[in-house]
Amino acid sequence: MVEPEAVAVSADGDGRLLTDDLFSNQSIDHPFDFFAALRDADPVHYDPRWDGWVVTRYEDVLAGFKDYESLSSDRFAGPWGSDGQRPSAHEKLYEVLSDFFVWKDPPEHTRVRGLMNKAFTPRSVEQLRPRTREIVQDLGASLRGGRNADFLNGFAFHLPVIVISEYLGVPATHREDIKRWSEDLGGVIFVKAGDKDRKARANRAVEGLSSLFRELVEARRSEPREDLLSGMLQAGEGDDGLSDDEIISNAILMIFAGHETTMNLLSNGIVAFDRFPDQWRRLQDDPDLVRPAAEEILRYDGPIRAMARWARSETEIGGQRIKPLDRVLLVPISANHDPRAFEDPESFDIDRSPNKHLAFGYGIHMCLGAALARMETQEAFRFLAREFDRIEVAEEKLQYKETIISRSLKTLHINAHDRAIG
Amino acid sequence: MTAMRESRTEIWASVDPDLCAAVTMCSAMAPSAFRLEGDVSVYVADNDATADEILEAAESCPMAAITVTEERTGEQLFPDKPSLQS
Repeated sequence: MVEPEAVAVSADGDGRLLTDDLFSNQSIDHPFDFFAALRDADPVHYDPRWDGWVVTRYEDVLAGFKDYESLSSDRFAGPWGSDGQRPSAHEKLYEVLSDFFVWKDPPEHTRVRGLMNKAFTPRSVEQLRPRTREIVQDLGASLRGGRNADFLNGFAFHLPVIVISEYLGVPATHREDIKRWSEDLGGVIFVKAGDKDRKARANRAVEGLSSLFRELVEARRSEPREDLLSGMLQAGEGDDGLSDDEIISNAILMIFAGHETTMNLLSNGIVAFDRFPDQWRRLQDDPDLVRPAAEEILRYDGPIRAMARWARSETEIGGQRIKPLDRVLLVPISANHDPRAFEDPESFDIDRSPNKHLAFGYGIHMCLGAALARMETQEAFRFLAREFDRIEVAEEKLQYKETIISRSLKTLHINAHDRAIG
Repeated sequence: MTAMRESRTEIWASVDPDLCAAVTMCSAMAPSAFRLEGDVSVYVADNDATADEILEAAESCPMAAITVTEERTGEQLFPDKPSLQS
């Protein structure tokens, strides 16, 4: 067992670990290098700033995800239960967020996930593919011939919001509201807490979303349609079903979770292909590689850096004893670059096999929207590789948001070179 | 009872360990037919689940990791679109 202090600030043998600060520039801008050093120096590392264990090796992250009995996902209990997460000024925010099923443990989690699961199976999601293809075409037109086109706000932001809004059954007239609210809500979930303005904005966003969904739930109750809200209402009819509040909270979760993460996934993919132009050629030569390519984007630079847990009971990770109430940060972005699990992990290989990355997590909390994110990413890159000879990143320096949870670019402009029709 | 068992044994399922992410939707749907072993779920041949339960379990898998075949003919019952698996 390594003493946390032993590696806290100094360099390791190679002189590579200059800092263990998760919020440092090194960590935010160069996570692959940062975590490579941490993985070797101290794979289950105590970080005094975050006040918890940072788990970076593939095997240990996997074990952490599987150990849901000891490691709780409940963000409103344990060490997070009494640290001012319940600000009276933001009641609605608290009420809605605390109903998000991602932050529940079994048996509650099992019940809600079981009811939501059917709508997000690979087969259900396949039904959305043709419409997603159309949306991609429409949005993609804005990138054509574009010098300095805004990929993040002009394409990546819109695609997932439109797909999930339509799936839920939100009328197109509310789309701009949805986008704005979703963005404001993202500001409080993924970014460092403590910003009062941000919390107030997020609270207003949640109030807006709640009243919109409450209206829609009422409308669908009297007149069901072929959409997800009607589906959730139907699933709500049994004894174990969803209450209206749960439907509304989880509809908000769908909007938000489908937006921020997929947007980052698409953008990070553009950056990866820019860095490895030979892989772009490969995709152009063989468009069917888009399925493994989506997996490789997820592995190489997925949208989630880390997932937080806390110990309900004493457990052990990688030989380190984790005491009750200790916080644990599982870091898939590190696990996915662990040479113990992946051959040549720093190379971006769109036909990598096997590729059992942990970008969606693992076990009972594995991302519900995984199939949807995959499908959207496949359709986006199928289109982009077909239409554009090259996509160059047009940022002088890539800037990432200062968050330890998500891997989010602040902006992403591109030069998209149209493909000559041969 | 005998009839039910016979119809059940005509179904065979398998879990692709390279795809399985231990989400355990399958064992929630058909507890006697799927069991977590190490990092992945496995199919338990000797089970009490009905064919419908096993098919539903396969369909519920978020990773499309489960294949269901008819034992006698070898016909693949799920997934019906091979593209879902690639």
